[in-house]
Amino acid sequence: MKICHVNYSRRAQIKIQQMAFVLVALLIFFAIVALFYFSIASKGLKQSASSLREEEAKELIKKLASSPEFSFTANTCANCIDLDKALLMKYRQSYQEFFNLDFLQIEKIYPDSKKVECDKTNYPDCSTISIVDSKEIGTPKTAFVSLCRWEQQKGGYFKCELGIIYASGKGID
Amino acid sequence: MKNKQAFEIGFNLIFGIVVGAVIIFFAIYAATKLIKTSVEVQSTELGKELGIILNPIETAFETGKSDKITFPAETRIFNDCKLTGTFGTQEISTASKSLNGEWQKPSFPSSFKNKYLFSENVLEGKNYFVFSKPFEMPFKIASLIYIWDENQAYCFIDAPREIESDVVDLNLNNIFIENCTEESKKVCFSTSGCDIDVSLDISGKIRGSLKKKSQDRVYFEDSSLLYAAIFSDTNIYECQLKRLMKRTSELSSLYYAKTIFLSQKNCNSNLEADLSIYSNKTFSFNNSIQLRELNLYAEEIRSKNEDLSCKLF
Repeated sequence: MKICHVNYSRRAQIKIQQMAFVLVALLIFFAIVALFYFSIASKGLKQSASSLREEEAKELIKKLASSPEFSFTANTCANCIDLDKALLMKYRQSYQEFFNLDFLQIEKIYPDSKKVECDKTNYPDCSTISIVDSKEIGTPKTAFVSLCRWEQQKGGYFKCELGIIYASGKGID
Repeated sequence: MKNKQAFEIGFNLIFGIVVGAVIIFFAIYAATKLIKTSVEVQSTELGKELGIILNPIETAFETGKSDKITFPAETRIFNDCKLTGTFGTQEISTASKSLNGEWQKPSFPSSFKNKYLFSENVLEGKNYFVFSKPFEMPFKIASLIYIWDENQAYCFIDAPREIESDVVDLNLNNIFIENCTEESKKVCFSTSGCDIDVSLDISGKIRGSLKKKSQDRVYFEDSSLLYAAIFSDTNIYECQLKRLMKRTSELSSLYYAKTIFLSQKNCNSNLEADLSIYSNKTFSFNNSIQLRELNLYAEEIRSKNEDLSCKLF
């Protein structure tokens, strides 16, 4: 019986080992590069999704005052919010998801009034109406608006005050 | 004597070839996957951005607005309408061309509850034309956005003066009222046998019905809905109309709550019953043929509101 036995020289064995190490090192290198790429890409994706949300909030806030749910239409008035409607919208669950926002608040800034959240009992002697108020919010975008409402004194008339509207888009977990 | 010396393939060569092949296979596989994923991400972002850039086109107190959207490359826009939830959803997705010139699959759709896009189901091109009109019935309900691509042209034949002035004033691209091109879709307002036949009411108002070739007849009650019916496929038109009616129903409920709230503050409108009925009727809206009946309720509410000293809307 013949037994084939290959006799590699010591130099050849070192070369094989060297090549094996190089190939393993190459594999590890590609794996690290891939991991690095994925971490950067996923971070970039989160950032771009977040910035798209913010952009949406920024564009939306410019249009919010003129949307049918907020606009004051009894008189022609650009950038005027119907505060009576806004107060009642707060109680309607259906509008929580409608604007795709996680924070939407209206604040009366002039004339000064009690710094409390508005409800049907203290309205209009209050300062803020929070329509959407999620736990996690981004940096809210703001816009100055006129807040118009029906004032029953002096026989009744539409009274407009200065306010600010805050809105922010959904944050990415 | 024959030379029996054979060619010897060394272990290092076989090992190198096998491992090298594995590395190259995984590298090519990963690169293909990455390209595919990043194209999908780009298309999804594009869909969302499209939705966002449509915001400034929406109307506030204006009677109409128009603009042009240019994409960096040839892009397909997929317009989809869903009726789920209180307000339904507008879904927009896009697709771009791959390196071999084939269209990619549509991206993950971006959803908007407060948008109403009227177009054909799929649009294709680099440049898109958009314009918007407010939809009121009797109060403002939404801004309707109409979109068509650069490959589409419309020819309005014998259009009413209101429609003609919209085309001229808003400088609508690829819409002709004279000197129509051969390829343009013919929209006939007084004759039939065109690509789109419009039958207007004898009252002289912009109301009536519209029939597209091989599609069902749809009904409209004002110019904003007429444009919606012209630019969109029947399924999109009927679906968006249902969404609009859902929003009308919610807004009617809001005005109903407002009138009850204000009646305690010396502002009686006596519109409670009308708004309640209107809210229920619009909630059960099913087909554009019902628009005529709903518009009668809307006109009643509009006229009652106009006579109020403290107007509800």
